[in-house]
Amino acid sequence: MHKGNPIEPPAISLQLIRRLCKRDLVEELEGNLVEYHAQLQNSSFKKLKYWYQVFNYLRPSTLKVTNLKLHTMFNFNPILTFRNLLRHKSTSFINIFGFTLGLVASIFLYFYIYSELSYDSFHTEKDRIYRAIRVSGINGSPYNIGVTSGPFAKALLNDFPDDINTVTRAYPEDGLVSFGEKKFFEENLLFADANFFDFFSFPLAIGSPEDVLKDINSVVLTKAAAKKYFGEQDPMGEILTVDNRFEFIVSGVMDEFPAKSNLEFDMVFPIEIYERFEWFSNWWNNGLFTYVHISTPAQAQNVIDQLPGFMDKYFGDDFKASGRRVDLTLEPLNDIYFNNKTRFDFVRHGDIQSVLILALVAVSILFIACFNYVNLSIAQSFMRAKEVGVRKVLGVPRSRLITQFLGESLMILIFSILLSVGICQLLKPLFNSAFGLDVTLNWSDPNVIVFFLALIVTIIVTSGIYPAILLSSFKPVVVLKGSKLSSGRNVGLRKALVIVQFSISIFLIVATFLIAAQNNYLNSKDLGFDKEAIVTIDLNNSEIRSGLESFKERLLTNSNVRRVSTMSGEPGGYHDASGFIFSGVEGNTRMRTVFVDRDYFDLFGLEIVAGRGFSKDMSTDEENAMIFNEKAAKEIGLSPEEIIGKRVRMPGWDIENAPVIGFVKDFHFKSLRDDIEPMAIISGGRHRKIAVKVNTEDIGNTLLFIDEKYKEVSPNYPISYRFLDESLAQLYEDEKKQAKVFIAFSGISILLACLGIFGLAAYTAQQRQKELGIRKVLGATPQQIINLISKDFVILVAIATVIASPTVWYFIKNWLGNFAYRIELPDYWYTFLLGGIIAVVIALLTIIVKTYRAAVADPTQSIRNE
Amino acid sequence: MKGTNLGEFEELLLLIVLILEEDAYVIRIREEILSQVNRSISMGALHTTLSRLEKKDFLKSDLGGATQERGGRRKRIYELTAAGKAALNDVKEMRANLWNQIPEFSLKFIHA
Repeated sequence: MHKGNPIEPPAISLQLIRRLCKRDLVEELEGNLVEYHAQLQNSSFKKLKYWYQVFNYLRPSTLKVTNLKLHTMFNFNPILTFRNLLRHKSTSFINIFGFTLGLVASIFLYFYIYSELSYDSFHTEKDRIYRAIRVSGINGSPYNIGVTSGPFAKALLNDFPDDINTVTRAYPEDGLVSFGEKKFFEENLLFADANFFDFFSFPLAIGSPEDVLKDINSVVLTKAAAKKYFGEQDPMGEILTVDNRFEFIVSGVMDEFPAKSNLEFDMVFPIEIYERFEWFSNWWNNGLFTYVHISTPAQAQNVIDQLPGFMDKYFGDDFKASGRRVDLTLEPLNDIYFNNKTRFDFVRHGDIQSVLILALVAVSILFIACFNYVNLSIAQSFMRAKEVGVRKVLGVPRSRLITQFLGESLMILIFSILLSVGICQLLKPLFNSAFGLDVTLNWSDPNVIVFFLALIVTIIVTSGIYPAILLSSFKPVVVLKGSKLSSGRNVGLRKALVIVQFSISIFLIVATFLIAAQNNYLNSKDLGFDKEAIVTIDLNNSEIRSGLESFKERLLTNSNVRRVSTMSGEPGGYHDASGFIFSGVEGNTRMRTVFVDRDYFDLFGLEIVAGRGFSKDMSTDEENAMIFNEKAAKEIGLSPEEIIGKRVRMPGWDIENAPVIGFVKDFHFKSLRDDIEPMAIISGGRHRKIAVKVNTEDIGNTLLFIDEKYKEVSPNYPISYRFLDESLAQLYEDEKKQAKVFIAFSGISILLACLGIFGLAAYTAQQRQKELGIRKVLGATPQQIINLISKDFVILVAIATVIASPTVWYFIKNWLGNFAYRIELPDYWYTFLLGGIIAVVIALLTIIVKTYRAAVADPTQSIRNE
Repeated sequence: MKGTNLGEFEELLLLIVLILEEDAYVIRIREEILSQVNRSISMGALHTTLSRLEKKDFLKSDLGGATQERGGRRKRIYELTAAGKAALNDVKEMRANLWNQIPEFSLKFIHA
C-alpha cells in the first residue's frame, strides 16, 4: 500500500464510496471522509473509527441501487442454499471437508513455495547484481565454485570500467564474540566492504547505508543479535570483542529482512581489517564472495565474454605452471539460491526441483477436490430435478437458476476457505515441525489475496459452471411428469474424473514407496568406512590448534576413548581438490585431497588393498606420504602395484617428490548423490577437525570428559562438536523432507479420492434402490448386490493404475538421476502393483461400507415406496 | 410525506445548522452535536436525516468551500429555508404554549 502521505485515507475506502454511492454525492462524501481522516490523526483506534464512518455512509439514502426489494425466490437465495446443504448432509460434508482439506494442503504448499521463490527478492537492484564465481573441472566435468579471493573485486572494477558500476565483497567467518560476561561462538559473521549496505538492500533500523561500515572498527548487528548481547539496552556505541582481541563499536542495527536471504549473517564487520594481512591479497586465497553491479544483461554478457582474457591476465603464469586453468563467470543474484550444485559455497541453497514437485502436488490435490465437487453435484442434480422444474414453471429464467447454483458453489467454497484459513493457522506449528520447515502464514500479503481470488475463480469455473449449466438445462415438462431422466449422458465424464483422481492418488502412493525405498537405500548403504560412535570436533581457534598434541594425549587417558585422529576434513565433510603429477606418467590428474595423521585409517576402519598404511616407525611417513583410493588408480590408468613407489608432485602446493606408499579401498567420502572421486590421502598438513572414536557405553560421561579436556586446552573458546553419523544423515536432509511431504500428501490425496468415490457409491445405491429391491426378490444375495455396484468402480481404479504406472516410472527415473547410487526400478516392480492394490482395496472398502445397507435392505421397503 | 412534523433529532439539526451559519456542513455539524449535546452521530446517519429535511423543504444545500484538507473537494453547506424557520418557530411556540398550561406543582414535582 502507498504510504507516502499519512494524511491520505486508504484509497480503497474512497473507491468503495465512488463505486457504490450516488454520483452527485460522491464529491461531498469523499471530502468529508478525507477531512475526517485528517482530523483523526492523533486519536486512538483511528482506523476503526474511520472505517466505522465509511461503512455508515453505505445506506439507502446514499447508495446508487436503492431498489433492494428483489424477488428473493428467483435470485440467489442464501437461505435456500443453506437448506439444501442441510438436507444433503453427507454430500455437503464431503464437499466442504474435501475442499477444506484440499485448500489447507495447497495453502501450506503455496506459502512454502512462495517463501522459497522470494529468496533475495527484496534487493532493489537484484536484477543488476551478479556474483563472480569460478569454474573449475575435475577430469572433464566442470563445476562452479562460489568463493573467490580478495583481489578479484578491484581488478574487475578496473578492467571493466564501462560495464561494472560498483563491486562489493562479503567474507563469511566464524568467531568468538563477547560483550562483558556474554560470550558466544558465532557461526554467521560477515566481513564486508563499506558499500555493502548501499550495494544490497538489507534494511537498517539504525544507521545509514552509506556510512555504517565506514570505520574500520565498526560492526552492524541484526536485531536478534543486538538483543542477544545487549537485551533491551541501546546497542549503539557499545563495544563487542571478537576472538578476545579485536574490538568493534556497534554503528548500526539491521531491521528484519522483508524476505529470506541466501547470505545468512548476524553481524557485519568491515572487510578492511583483512587488508593488512598479506594472504588477503593473494589471488589464490579463496574464501569470500565478490559481487558486481552491472546495468544491463547485454553488458553482463559482454563482461562474461571477456572474462577468459581477464583470468589469463592475472593467472596466466600459474595456469602454465600447474597445467590447468580456472575460469570466471557471473551468476545473477536471483539464481544463486537455486544453484545448489555450486561447490565451496557457504550460502543457503534451495532445490528448485522439490519446489516444482510440491507445486505439482498442490495442484493435483486441488484437482481431486474439485473433481469430487463436480462429480457429486452432477450426481445430486438428478435429485434436484423437481426443484428446477417447479422454478422454471413459475417463470424463472435460466440465467437466474445458473446464478443460484453458482451462488451455492461460492458459498461452499467461501465457507471452506474460511475454515481452511483457521485450520492452517492452528496447524502451522505442527506442519513446520513435522516437515522441518519454517513457513510463515502471511495473510495480508497482497499475493495471497490474489491467490485466493484466482482460486475461487478457477474452482468456480472448473467445478461450478458445468453442474450449474447441467442443472438449469432440465426441461420442466420432462422432470415434472416424473419420467426418469436419462442419467446416462454424464456417466462418461464422471468415470473420466474418477479415473484421473485415482491416477493422481496411485501416482503419489507409488512415488512415496519408491522415494522411501531410495532413502532407505541411502541410509543403509555401506559407505566403506566406520561412522558409528565417532565425534568430530572443530579445530576453529588458535588455542586448540596450538594445544592439539596435548589435547590428543589427554583424551587418550580415558579408556572409553578408543582412537583420536586429526584431519583436514572428515568423510562427508570438506575435501579440497588439486592436481597431481606422477613421475613417469603423462599429464595431471585432478583428485580430492585430505590431509590426515596416521590414525585416520584405523579410526574409520579403512582397508588398505595394496602397499601399506602410514607407519609409526617410518619417519618419512610423517609428512607428505601419499595413499590413494582405487578410483585414482583407475583414473590414472595403471594398477595400484605399478603406481606404488612413484613420486608425486602437487603443483601449487610446494609438494614434490612425495612417495606413493599404498592404496585404500574406495569409500564414500562424499554424499551418495555423487560418484566416488579419485582421492589422495596425504600425511601432515593443516588440520581442521579432530575425530574421536568412543565406546558406546557411558557415552554421556565420555562427552563430558571430552568437553572438560577441551576446556583445559582451550579455556577461552566453547567446544563445537557433532556425531559423525548425524552429520552424514544431514547430507540427505532434503530427501528425508521430500519423503515426509510425499507421505503426508499422498495420504491426503487418497483420502480425498475415496471421499469422492464414497459419495458416488452412495448415490448409485440410492438411484438403483428399486432395481436392487427387485433383484433381491428374485433371489440375489447381498454379496451379489455389492459386487454389482463395486464392479464399475473397481474397473475404474484398475484403469487408473494402468495410467499412473508409466507416469510414475518416468518421474521417479528422472528423480533417481540425481543420485550416483540408486535403487534399480525393475527390482521394485511390485510397488506399482501394490499402489494399484492399495487404491482398489481402499476404494472397495469405502464402497462396501456405503452399499452394505442397500444390499441388506428389506426389498419390500424399496419396491413399495412410491 | 407525513405532514411537517419535526422529530426531536430533526429539530436539533435545524437548530445546529442555524447556529453554525455559513459553516454548516457535515463535519462541523457532527462536532457541534458532540460538543453541545454530547451525542456521537455517524456522518452517514447525519446524511440521511439532513436529506430528509431537505425533502421536507426545511433545508436547502449548496456545494462550495473546497479546502486543502479535503483534497480540493467541495462541501455541502446547509441553510434553513423560510419553511424551516417557520417550522422551528411553530415548534417553539407550541412547546411554550404547552409549558404554560402545566400546573405549577407538577413542575416542582419533577424537579424534586
